Amino acid sequence: MLPHLDAAYNLARWLTRNDHDAEDVVQEAVLRAYRFFDGLRGEARPWLLAIVRNSCLSWLQVNRPAELAGFDDRAAEPIDETSPETLAVRQCDRRILNEALAALSAQFREALILRELEDLSYKDIARITDVPVGTVMSRLSRGRRLLAESLQAISNAAAPQVHK
Amino acid sequence: MTREEAHKLLHAYVDGELDAAKTLELEAHLAENPAARAACERLREMSAAIRDRADYHVAPPALAARLRASVPAAPQKAPRLAWRRWLKPAAAFAAVALLTWVVAVQTLRPGEDEGIAREVLASHVRATLANRLFDVPSSDQHAVKPWLSTRLAFSPPVADVSAHGFELRGGRLDYVGGQSVAVLVYQRRQHTIDVFVWPATAEKAQQALTVNGFNVESFARGGMSFWLVSDLNRNELRDFARLVAAAP
Repeated sequence: MLPHLDAAYNLARWLTRNDHDAEDVVQEAVLRAYRFFDGLRGEARPWLLAIVRNSCLSWLQVNRPAELAGFDDRAAEPIDETSPETLAVRQCDRRILNEALAALSAQFREALILRELEDLSYKDIARITDVPVGTVMSRLSRGRRLLAESLQAISNAAAPQVHK
Repeated sequence: MTREEAHKLLHAYVDGELDAAKTLELEAHLAENPAARAACERLREMSAAIRDRADYHVAPPALAARLRASVPAAPQKAPRLAWRRWLKPAAAFAAVALLTWVVAVQTLRPGEDEGIAREVLASHVRATLANRLFDVPSSDQHAVKPWLSTRLAFSPPVADVSAHGFELRGGRLDYVGGQSVAVLVYQRRQHTIDVFVWPATAEKAQQALTVNGFNVESFARGGMSFWLVSDLNRNELRDFARLVAAAP
């Protein structure tokens, strides 16, 4: 009946980081999507997700403009691309991983959610987020790096309290 | 290939987005560089950690109900072809699946392996379409195996790989390459994986094929031929194939 509703909700929930706001945004976006269904070209899921994503951005712009600072790629701090990723990810638990992921700035978070949870191709992610494929690649690589670093920091901080 | 170049390509490699030529180049680099191999392994771990442990937020039933209540009202006022199609998702899904299958069939070159790939893919799509995934629903390998053995001229090995996040859902019978075969149905998140098994005369190394969104892995060992079909991503299906091949 409502194809891809879970995918739409999952993306909105990760972008707004709040159940109630995600519901509002998805409801509005899905109704808008149905209204413009005539304009559908190609695959439905990336198309719907692009609408949901844009609705999230508009919503954030009005309600929490500070969070959109993360959408400027130039503002991202330079990262040493050759340093090895950390191993903290192996031991991290579900709660810590979710918190670290939610704490990433929005452009890295959405790229990782679309790639890892929706299993979308770079091409589809580029279409949904309206950037070139090269930017998708660099966002994924930086996002994974930042996530690994934050998991490492958490595990270092927690290390002294671990008793087994 | 320099270290920097390899590092740049690593993410695309792990994501299964690298073209064949670059994949070969990078794999040659990985073979010679333990540090790059370790970095690749860490990336896979990161990817798997997010897939396995990040929350997938399913739409609340109340939201679905609200949308369902407000969406079907519109087309009655303004019936249009596109609306009617939207309201018949089963037909739309069938059309997409049929198209996928037709394209898949046309993309494959004739040949023995391709012929089999075509048959197992068709069986996978048919089973998904008709929602007839298994004749024997069970997550117990000791229930699925005897059920299949009594109906076939061979006893298919049924791997228990639930520890790795691949749940056995059941098994069914099908007909591939002119013989009755066993199909083991596994699930990984929302993806269904069909594992086709039948007796083989020769061993075969693991081989991957991607056909319009479906990934196919095949190998033969221990006197059995294995064909895996799924819409699961290539890397995870390859890992799954390795697990099945390594299972006792």
